[in-house]
This record gives sequence, structure tokens and C-alpha cells, in this order.
Amino acid sequence: MGATAVTTSLVENVRARRWRAFDLQLFLYLILLIAFGVVMGYSASYSDAPQAGVLSQTVKTLIWTGIGLTLFFVAASVDYHWLQTLIAPIYLLVLGLLSLTLLIGTSLYGAQLSISVAGLDFQFSEVGKVLMVVVLATYLSGRRERVGRLGTIIGAGVLMAIPTGLVLLQPDLGTALVFVGILVGMLFLSGASIGWMALFAGAAVAAAPIVVRSLADYQRQRLFCFLDPSADPQGACYQLVQALDAVGSGGLFGQGLTAGRQNQLGFLPVQSTDFIFTVVAEELGFIGGVVLLGLFALLVWRILAIGWGARDALGAMVAVGLASMLLFQIMINVGMVLGIMPVTGIPLPFITYGGSSMISLLFGMGILESVRMHSRKPTF
Amino acid sequence: MADLNEGRLDLPRSRARFIAFGVAAAVLFTTLGGRLFQLQVLNGELYAARAVEAHTVDVPLMAPRGLVFDREGRPVVVNVPSWTVKVRPADLPTSQIGTVLGRVAQMTGTDATLLRQRFDAFHGSPFELVPLAHGITRDAALLIGESAAQLPGVVVEVEAQRRYLNEKGAVDGPLLSHVVGYTGPVDINEFRDLQDEGYLRDDVIGRAGIESSFEKELRGTYGRQLWERDASGRPVKVIRTLSDPVPGKNLMLTIDARMQRIATDSLRWGMKAVGVEQGVTIVMNPQTGEILAMVSLPAYDNNKFAAGISADDYAIYLADAAKPLRNHAIADIFPPGSTFKLVTGLAALEEGVTTPSRRWPTYGCYQIPGAPKGQCLFDWNHAGFGPLNILEAYAKSSDTFFYQMAVALGVDRLGYWANQLGFGERSGIRLPGEAAGIIASKEWARSQGREDVFTGELAQAGIGQNVVAVTPLQLLNAYAALANGGHLMRPMVVRGETDADGKLTKAYEPEVIRELPASPANLQTMRIGAREVITTGHAYNIRDLKLPGALSGKTGTAEFGTPTAEGVLPFHSWFLAYLPSRAGATDAQLAVLTFSYSAIVPGNVSLEVVKYFLQEWYGLDQDLRLNPRNFSLVAAN
Repeated sequence: MGATAVTTSLVENVRARRWRAFDLQLFLYLILLIAFGVVMGYSASYSDAPQAGVLSQTVKTLIWTGIGLTLFFVAASVDYHWLQTLIAPIYLLVLGLLSLTLLIGTSLYGAQLSISVAGLDFQFSEVGKVLMVVVLATYLSGRRERVGRLGTIIGAGVLMAIPTGLVLLQPDLGTALVFVGILVGMLFLSGASIGWMALFAGAAVAAAPIVVRSLADYQRQRLFCFLDPSADPQGACYQLVQALDAVGSGGLFGQGLTAGRQNQLGFLPVQSTDFIFTVVAEELGFIGGVVLLGLFALLVWRILAIGWGARDALGAMVAVGLASMLLFQIMINVGMVLGIMPVTGIPLPFITYGGSSMISLLFGMGILESVRMHSRKPTF
Repeated sequence: MADLNEGRLDLPRSRARFIAFGVAAAVLFTTLGGRLFQLQVLNGELYAARAVEAHTVDVPLMAPRGLVFDREGRPVVVNVPSWTVKVRPADLPTSQIGTVLGRVAQMTGTDATLLRQRFDAFHGSPFELVPLAHGITRDAALLIGESAAQLPGVVVEVEAQRRYLNEKGAVDGPLLSHVVGYTGPVDINEFRDLQDEGYLRDDVIGRAGIESSFEKELRGTYGRQLWERDASGRPVKVIRTLSDPVPGKNLMLTIDARMQRIATDSLRWGMKAVGVEQGVTIVMNPQTGEILAMVSLPAYDNNKFAAGISADDYAIYLADAAKPLRNHAIADIFPPGSTFKLVTGLAALEEGVTTPSRRWPTYGCYQIPGAPKGQCLFDWNHAGFGPLNILEAYAKSSDTFFYQMAVALGVDRLGYWANQLGFGERSGIRLPGEAAGIIASKEWARSQGREDVFTGELAQAGIGQNVVAVTPLQLLNAYAALANGGHLMRPMVVRGETDADGKLTKAYEPEVIRELPASPANLQTMRIGAREVITTGHAYNIRDLKLPGALSGKTGTAEFGTPTAEGVLPFHSWFLAYLPSRAGATDAQLAVLTFSYSAIVPGNVSLEVVKYFLQEWYGLDQDLRLNPRNFSLVAAN
């Protein structure tokens, strides 16, 4: 898709008054969440380096947001059906990027999650999640009347199994879980057979111990801390214990922005990334936490509404896939911080500091906006 | 694109499934919100308390140790700042250890390899401070402070150090070291027990003298401050002060530092004159038991200990045969010799063995009753004195008279009166290391595997020889009780508490150990006897001192120990005196004792020392000291 095509479609959209259908609600929630994230990111990095560090992290987030929003508008202005025509290259791109990460990725906490180019880290699994939503949406919408058959589940399963396997090899358990979450959510809403899905779910549960056994020791220990954080409060469960103390310390109203003691004194080892919600809870309290969860709920609701009102199955499936992805990430990330889910590294959408996540998410949201804008019949 | 154009949906959308999905999402958000409510609102305080505990630290606030003044308000123990270089390993990059320690060594004038050894020997948390060099100069401390950028992890801490002064306020440890003592670091074994009392791992504690016995008063109470610390353990800021430190009490000694100086100089003169290695002078107020001077020679330099004594210096003290670290005035026991005749005499009067007027024959040699003929005990005067009453016998110090008194009394009665006068028990002076002494008794005999003491031993005990050993302080205190009319006082070395300027704010009350169960008349007889010692006895020319009162006292010598190459036993001499307004009066304000250990010339050097002391203290324009060559002319006993 060349620059000419984009310009052309922008012009066409304006002429077709499609921007009238631009979903302002969705955009508003996104902006509020991003703003929330910028503020929390500032507070989380406040203690690290009082002068330079704070600015650089906040500025970087703003730059990424700028890039992301550009992609958002570009994606929004283009009819999402172009995705259908490029689906094979997209799928190959996902597999290629994930393989590349495995081959030349830089190691972080014992896992190869990202690729460094010119000082910037690219975490391809983030864009991989959004693209896999598109791939599955295309596949499922193409199943039409055969969607209730067993073949749908097997086909979608196989499509998803390859990238899931690749991220598990990194090993990135969190992203793998999100892939599975996307698959399940999309199958369910596409109309796939509930009976067959239940059967596969049963098989997956039965296979879980095998997966757990294949994990590295540190992963397994961290994974089960949520069952009993006091088992190893100084070792594997240190992060979780500190996170719970921070969340609890927040109380109803929180300790105030940049005033969270656990955060500012460095008791939260990865406070600006995976544990950002602890900073929210500690500094803004129960009120702040509920506001953030509420924003997320509104966003998910809005995405589902767009999916329900989509003109065709492709649009609906894209929306449903993105909703599933967000729900899963929120559940795993916040649940982990609150000690009701296993500890796995996964970003909190829009809030966690990180360019790959932000850009990929806004790109996905742009496609969603395109679905919304192309849902109405053009009025002539 | 046909579907789109026809407006027909290609996949049926199930309303039920969308609703189910929405409900699942709602349940999820509700669950997360509920859990958040549980953690933050219901159990928030629990987690908050745990978090506070994790990121706060209780920091002790050291209390300044109490100062010490002499009885005239002269400061004799003060605190001075001492700078210590420390390093926090966590802040010192491994690659720079060598360079940084090298710079510190250069700035402080210490050895870099020594600093490296101390650094490597430390095995604590990398966030704990490792002391590298104590007692560096103020200039070095400032230099290190200015060079902080080149010295990552290095800090200079200022700590208080004790400094011991003399009567002129000059740094001079030995003048008072045996009274004042010194402080030293708490060792790791003691620390386990002391931890509960608020001592810190790198704390100091009193080791000798009143620094040790008045540790509780001097130390004060440390305060506590709550600090916020970061995850790596560094204190970040004060949250609040939990308790303020209470400074240690300032103490006033009963000692007069100027008198201590005179007593020291006079004793040193006498010891040097006759080649004596150990000596004691104690001065006391008999009315109160206050120790006005307490000199034990040789003395040690407690300032060396305050700065952290080197192993070499300490070894020298330990190897010295004259035991400079021991306070001979209270920690060592010696036969009191003829000075003990006070006990035998008072007991004989009280028990009715004799009367003031009854005369007893004296001998050149006293035949021990029950012993084979010819086994006799000599008088120091081998000619004998002829018949003597108790006053004459005491003044002339007749040995054979008091042999007879002791034998007539028996070991139990003699022992009873010795105990009444404070012998065989600790006086309870608040100084560490006091000895109790030995008095002949049936218990002592049984400890030797016998039923009773030999009669010869009993007779000798009557003149303070053989099975009698006392501390110089016990002896002086017994004479003080005679001098004050029969009150055995508890000797005291601290007069009370003062303000920071040395003004007495709380006086400690003198304490009576016991009232002597002796009749005033018999005590008066012994006081007259003590005056006779000076006027008609053989205390020689001390009677010619123009003192403001009627000096009374007693000489004593004892020969014991290892004989010299010529077969002469070392000669140990005592002299004690007190100064009432007139003969027999009980108003003496000053009693003095000198003991010289192991002279190789006979004669009573202690008498000369006391004489010199009295001349100097009362500022007399007389100098009646004998030429040391003539000491042996002085009647010894």
C-alpha cells in the first residue's frame, strides 16, 4: 500500500463523509488511558533519576504515542478490507518477526523478548498479537456457514499454534497466554461449536502440567507465588510480596502522585513496566485503581459495541479479537499485581512504559476505527 | 466485496454469545475491583504496616558520655571529636577499590595494604559501613570530605573519644588512671548480652575505674530515630524522633586533682630514692569516707586506651612485673605489719585481756606457749623493752607485747575485731577489682587441712604478719574509723553529679558501713596511742612538722617475698597518719597512708613520703626529709 493509495483513500473518506462516523468515544477513552499512563510513567521513574531520566522516559512515551496516533489515523482512514488481501504476507511477517526474535533477540531476565536496533528495543510479539487478531479475523470470517464445524477450531488452532509455540520458546509465557486468550475469545464469538471448544479446553487443562514442567525453575517458582507469597518472600516471590504491600499501602485515597513509598524507595523492581499497576494503587489508592479499571471496562465495552455494529464479519472479528486481547492482558497483569494470577511478564495496555506495545495497540485501535467508519452504508 | 455491496452479513452474530462475553468481562472487572477493595480498603492497614516495617529503620542516637570533674570542679575527663574513615562497599565499584583505598591511605598517612586488609576482612552486608582508619586528623577528615567525588563510597564519621586530663587541664592520663579508668570497644561476645541494654555493635563501654563502675551513670540513654530507608538499605530521611538521647551524668570525684599531683610526686620521689617499683598513697577524709587522693604506682596512660591501644603498647603493660594496670590500693593484699596492732590492741581492751594501765613483761624473744622450749618469736627490738602498758607498747611498737595479746585473745576474738574494723571483706568502694583480704581464722586453718591455726601463727597475726593480708584501702579505712570516733565509713570516690560546668547538682550521701562496737574510752586510748607514736615513738622527726593539728599515726614494716642475692628479704613499709585538732580528738579531716612495696634498703621510706606530702600539701616552709642514704637509720618498725 503506497503513499498515493493512502492519500487517495483519505480524500475518498472525506468526500464520503466517513469521518462523521469516527468513533469519538473510543478515541476519548484511548486518550484518557494514554494520559493516565504518561502520568504514572512519570511518577514511576521519578525516583530513579530526579533530572534527566524522568524527562527522557516521559518524552519517549510521548514520541511513541505520536507515532502510534499517526498509525491510528492512517489505519482508520483506510478501508480495513485491504487486510484481507494481504493476509498471507501478514501471517508470514508475524512468523518471521517472532523467529527473528528467537534467533538474534537480546536477553532480558533470562528470556529473549526483544531485538535491539540502533539503541531501540523492538518487541515484535506486541505487534504480533495485533496482527494475529487480523489473521484469525480473516480466517474466521471466511468460514461463513461452515463456522460451526470442527474444522474451524482446528484451522484457527493451527494458525495460532505456530506463533504461540515461537513465543513459548523465547520463553514468554505471558504473550503465549494472550494468544490463547485471543483464540478462545474469537472462536467463541465467531459461532464455533461450544461442544468442541469445551473438549479442547478440557484437553488443554489436562496438558497444563506438561507445560508447567517444561518451564525454567525461576518461571515455575514465580508462577506459583500467588498461591502463597510467604513461601519465599526474599527470593522468587519478592516482587509479589512488595507489590501487595504497595497496593495495600495505597488504602482508599492513595499516598499521592510521586509519593508512594514502596515505589519511590525502589522496593518495586520493575515499577514502570509490568508492575505499573502497583504504582497506581499505591499512589492513587482504591479510587485511582477503580478509575483505571473503569476506563478499561468502558474501552472494552466500546470495542464490543463496534464489533456488534460492524458491517461484516471481518470487522466484527477484528473488534472481538482486540477486545479479547485487552481483556486477557488486563486480567493477567492486574491479577498478577493483586496476587490472584500467576506472575508472568506482560504489559498493561496503554499504561506500561514501552514503545512496541503503544504503537501496536494504537495501530490495532486504528483498524477498529476503520471498522467503525466503514460500517454504515455510504449515503449517496 | 459482494457481501459488502449487498449489505448482507456473512457470519451470523449470536446475540447470546456477545452478551455472555460481555458478562464475562463484567465479572472480570468486578473481580479485580473487589480484590482491590479487599487489599486496599479492608486489609490495607495490614499491608501498610508491613511495608512501613520494610522501609523504615530504627537509628540509634548516641548520648554524649558524662564528663568527670575533680572535687574542685576541674575537668579531668572530657569528650573530644575523633574522625573515622569508613567505606560502604556497595557504593565503591570493584574496579576502583585499589585506587580509592590508595587515595585514602595517602590522605590519612596510613598504609594502603593495611586499609585493604581491613576492607577485605569485612564480611557483612555491602551496605554496612566498614571502618578503615580511626583517629585521623581533622585536616585529613576535611580533605577527604572535599574530595568526595574522587572517593566513591568513602565517608568520614565523627565520633566522641574520651580524653583524660590532669589538675591543670593538660592531657595527662597517668595522674588519675587508676581512679578514672578508661573506655574500650564492646567485643562481640559481650555484645550479645549488652544488646538488650541498648549497646551498639561498635559501641564503647567502661573498662576500668569509674568509667566501668559508673558505666550506667556516665553512659546516659541513647535515643531512637525512625528513618526511611530505600530498598538497598540506605537511610533516606528522618521520619520522626522516637526518643531523644539523654546525656550521661557528669560526675564529680571526691579526688582533689592537685592533692593527687602532690601525693603522686611525693610517692614517686620516695620510690625513686630507694629503688621501689610499686607504691600506694591514699588520702581520705575520715569523717565522710571520701577519697581525696588515690595513687597507685606505676600508673598507665589511659589516653592510649581511649585512642585504641596498640597491641605492642598493651603487651608492654602486661609484661611489666610492677603491674601498672592494677590499682594496688584496692586490688592487691599485703601483710599490714605493725599497723595491725591497732586491731590487736583495741580487741585486747574490749575483750578485757588488758586494761589501759596494766603492764606486761616484754621480751627479746617470746616463747610460744605449748611449743618446744626455745621456739620463740623475736621482738624487732631484740633487747626487749621491759614491762609496758598498752599505750607504751603501741607507741614503741613492741612485738612481744602484742604476741601475748593475740594469744590471750584467741583466733576467734582477734578475727571478730579485725572484721569489725573492715578487714577480710570488701569495703564496697565503687571501683572495680577490689580484693577482700585474708584474716587468720579457724576456717582458714581448715582450708589448710588443720583444725586450728598454730599458736605461733596466731601470735604473728597479732602484729600483722603471716596469716594477715589487707588492701591499703582497708587499712586506711580502719584508722579513719578510729579517727572519727568509731564510724566505719564506706570509702567513696564519686562525690556526686554536676552540671556541664562542674557545679555540684546532686551530692551522694556518705554511708556508714557499721558503728564499731567499741567503747569510746577504749577508742580514745588507741587514739592517744597513735598520737604517742608520733610524739614519743620512733616516727622520728615527723613530729617537728608545723602542722595545723596533732598528727597521729602508725608505722609498719613487713619482710616477705623473694630474698635478694645477699639473702635479704625485701622490705615493705607502711605509714599512716591522721590529723585531729588535738591529741585524741575525733575531728580529723585528713588521713593519709603510704605503702612502699619491696625496698631493698631497710627503713621506712613510706614515712618519708607522707612527710613530704604533708609539707607540700600544707605549704610548710620546712623540709624535714631525710637524705635517702640515711633511711636505714630510722627505726623501722
